[in-house]
Amino acid sequence: MSDDAADVQRVLAGDVDAYAALVDRYYDRCARFAIRMLGNRDDAEDALQATFLRAYKALNRYQERDRFSAWLYRILVNQCRSIAARRAHREKVFIREEALLLNAPDRTPNWTGEDEEFVQRVLSELDPLLREAFLLKYIEELSYEEMSALTGVGVSALKMRVKRACDRLRERWERIKND
Amino acid sequence: MTDSELHPYVELIAREARRPVASDPAARARVMAAVRAEPAPRRLPVWLRAFQPRPITLSPAVGGLLAAGLVGLGVIGGNFALNRDGRNPVGQPPSVAARLPVSDTVFVIVAPQAAQVSLVGDFNDWDASKAPLVRVPNSGLWKVTVPLPAGRHLYQFVVDGNWVPDPGAPVAGDDGFGRTNSVRIVGTGSAL
Repeated sequence: MSDDAADVQRVLAGDVDAYAALVDRYYDRCARFAIRMLGNRDDAEDALQATFLRAYKALNRYQERDRFSAWLYRILVNQCRSIAARRAHREKVFIREEALLLNAPDRTPNWTGEDEEFVQRVLSELDPLLREAFLLKYIEELSYEEMSALTGVGVSALKMRVKRACDRLRERWERIKND
Repeated sequence: MTDSELHPYVELIAREARRPVASDPAARARVMAAVRAEPAPRRLPVWLRAFQPRPITLSPAVGGLLAAGLVGLGVIGGNFALNRDGRNPVGQPPSVAARLPVSDTVFVIVAPQAAQVSLVGDFNDWDASKAPLVRVPNSGLWKVTVPLPAGRHLYQFVVDGNWVPDPGAPVAGDDGFGRTNSVRIVGTGSAL
């Protein structure tokens, strides 16, 4: 039995503290997806809180044959979608410019800083459906079959979304290069 | 597309986005505080767990046999359900196929400057490659005919890579991703 399955069994046997082990194991990874997806930490924390709470309440319906991480991620993706829907028209403000990149002498993508806002800004320019597919593919490094199981979207549509996300990013680079 | 095929800039963005984020330990404590405020989940009784939905995996051979068997059952059932002249017996509900007829549904958009237009919707996995529109000669009109079952369908056009709602159709409101889908209701026997 995996650590996850053992912890789930302990929770269902009444040991609430065992759930803290699951939260510790997955919080950071879920936080990375939520922050990259939603663009700010406040919304991401709302999504994470709702995700872990919903998972806890539904734990008795979790099937052990499924990977706990995949089950949890499915909830997280839906929570991020719900929060994105609620704040769809809220203005997002990104205050930092990608000065390092723009000022690079040879204008090649050699930016290696740790400026989180830069990454958020670039990702935020992608259509949310494209961003979600791009993050699941290249940041969470899931297979298309896993992505399909998480999102309920067909593999061919997901491949198209990832391709379009990459195309958008390439176009962005071309614009920067030619400015 | 594999990682090795990624454009350097795309790879840069992916690499930076893969960096772990520093999460707030207090946030985890808040999660656990909320969890503790909830009633503890309990194991479902065995009899209830037996009714939980579960996927099954079949080999292609078994799947084929099962499909053939279901088709056979449908044929036999159809023979029993129909009168000798093929009509539904009076008072019997029509079959599922009869209740969900497929109608050839026409989608048109005016886009005189466009080089490429396609139709994406919940009926084709939002896949822009599945339903390209054809330009009507000597006009700015683009057109495609898609077989759709009766019901409510969400869709958009992709005009030169840009997703746009149908300007001549009702909209379903924001889909939660900052996009507005158009709605097409297909009734029984509808052609448009």
